[in-house]
Amino acid sequence: MKKHTHTKERDKHFNLNALVEACCERMEKEYQQHNRLPTPIPSPIIEITKESNGVSTIWIQVPTILATDYKPGQYFMCWNPYDSEGGMSKKNYNSEKPYSVGDIRVDRSGIDEETAPDQGLDGSTMMGFTIKNLGRQSGELIKMEKGDWFAIRGPFGTNFQTPNFGETLILVSGGIGSTPMHMAAKEARNKLGDKLTIHSIMGFQTSDDVHYHDKMGEICDSVTVTTDDGSFGLQGYPTIPLREIISNCEPSNTKLFTCGPEPMMKPVLEICEENGIESYAAMERYLPCSVAACGLCMVGDRLTCRQGPVMEGSWLLEQDDFGSPHYH
Amino acid sequence: MAQLTVHAPGLDLPNPLMLASGLQGGSVSALERVAKSRCGGLVSKSIGPSPREIYPGPVCVEAMNGVILNAMGLPNPGVDAFSKMLANNEFAKPMLVSIFGPDSESFSNIAIKMEKSGATALELNLSCPHSKPGSTALIVGQQPNLIHEYVSAVKDVVNIPVYAKLTPNTASIAIEAGAALNAGADGISLINTVSALEIDPFAGRPIIGNLLCGMSGPTIRPIAQRKIAEVALAMRRGDIPVAPILGMGGITTGLDVARFIMLGATAVQIGSALIYDDIDVFETIEKELNDFMDVQGFRDLESMRGIALDSLEGLN
Repeated sequence: MKKHTHTKERDKHFNLNALVEACCERMEKEYQQHNRLPTPIPSPIIEITKESNGVSTIWIQVPTILATDYKPGQYFMCWNPYDSEGGMSKKNYNSEKPYSVGDIRVDRSGIDEETAPDQGLDGSTMMGFTIKNLGRQSGELIKMEKGDWFAIRGPFGTNFQTPNFGETLILVSGGIGSTPMHMAAKEARNKLGDKLTIHSIMGFQTSDDVHYHDKMGEICDSVTVTTDDGSFGLQGYPTIPLREIISNCEPSNTKLFTCGPEPMMKPVLEICEENGIESYAAMERYLPCSVAACGLCMVGDRLTCRQGPVMEGSWLLEQDDFGSPHYH
Repeated sequence: MAQLTVHAPGLDLPNPLMLASGLQGGSVSALERVAKSRCGGLVSKSIGPSPREIYPGPVCVEAMNGVILNAMGLPNPGVDAFSKMLANNEFAKPMLVSIFGPDSESFSNIAIKMEKSGATALELNLSCPHSKPGSTALIVGQQPNLIHEYVSAVKDVVNIPVYAKLTPNTASIAIEAGAALNAGADGISLINTVSALEIDPFAGRPIIGNLLCGMSGPTIRPIAQRKIAEVALAMRRGDIPVAPILGMGGITTGLDVARFIMLGATAVQIGSALIYDDIDVFETIEKELNDFMDVQGFRDLESMRGIALDSLEGLN
């Protein structure tokens, strides 16, 4: 008997597109009813893009409304119901972890652009989750293949607010913190066009880790890459180019968003405080449940899952437990 | 304004609305955050003999309207870390410390450490498996003889009040409640989650990382009410010793609290409501309860307690 639920056992005549559409339709029904996906909805992976060594983007098809409602910084709980071997493990190889969306695109392949308007075809919406191999589950996720199951639940949490007309937005990312920064840049540019200036600083450990800088280059007025060892871009931490960019900004007209390891974000937020710049950070904490049940994601007296992940920089700097490395 | 205070062994509460075990209660900062709300009291996460990690996710999911499924795996910092934390912190509200262990000896060892660290009352989580060799799948709370053994073991070694938290997944809950009370329990907590299972039809597997799970949320409230009524009626009949009942299971409104009190509950615990809303839900529920009692002319909880049992007397 064929077990069609196992991706490894589908035969070559299996209609993956029909399955993708069915899963997308199910997602849309759930979303319309609850305004979020309260339960994990699996969908076959459509495409995997390799971004750099150990960093890949998993693309799934989602209902358009889910993508248009999504706000940068919010996260989905992402789950691989099976590990890359098609098995179920109790050792966290297939678990559920929070990831913010890295990219959204509309796929119009297979659509005849001349007749599309008449037929009301608007393409399929793809959501990309960019995953870095950091442990058991993420290590398993980057081994996934087209057709494998990838489930999402959410979106959850607070988001980055769109800046105002005429403002300067500075985005500082460390490593895989690139993903919400990319979505924040994209949203700001889509909404405000050239009525704002965006400077991006992207910190990585080495040239092997560098990713998303091309995407950011297409949106931002400037992109500065730093690597700890100087193997790509400037050598050192993002704080070095940050001071220079800030010296050319009007503080009252500038906002800074950041996402990355806490030891990187803390000095970034401190520089903002010194210079009177409003700042917001997306926190990456161990966040197993997302529904305020476990209480394991506390920062100060706040739950990261619900009162985060995006929090005010000035508030974070007052918390004793902010600024050390956190592993997940 | 109705009088909402509750006086039960080890628990002097400003109102009957306690945080249920398992929700947000695993760290000082999380407990302090809840203590600042209008809740009447706290229950810690269940603390075991050693630190335990949470199960692989999904660990807690809103599976459908009114249904929360979870299998967290009793994550906790372990008795040594928790008792240190207890000794070094004053919480703004009274706290029941929930404990569990693989056998009765482990329960009593943890109980001793908690009492030494300043716990004023304990809740025994008896929904955990009994780990005697060859009986790993046995749930303590389904075996009256084991309930008696565990409760006696704890009562023998501590002076603070002990509440036994029972599982609803049994045929006749009054028998299990009787076993706990005859062993000296000072009160009963009812109910733990209802055993459940949900499958994702596309992925063809359970949607919870642990596969099997427990169900909570508004949908289980009528089940909880039935169990509480069965225990309260057995107390009325004199079948089992009379003791306070802490009621829980899907409470989200002040009217739900009134329902539990009318079935004989002394106080209630609130868990799943904190998944739907933030901790200010305690204030909302307190106000709803107060308004209801005012309009019905109930001056205090005592005047409302157990009145719905009258219509049920004579039923078995």
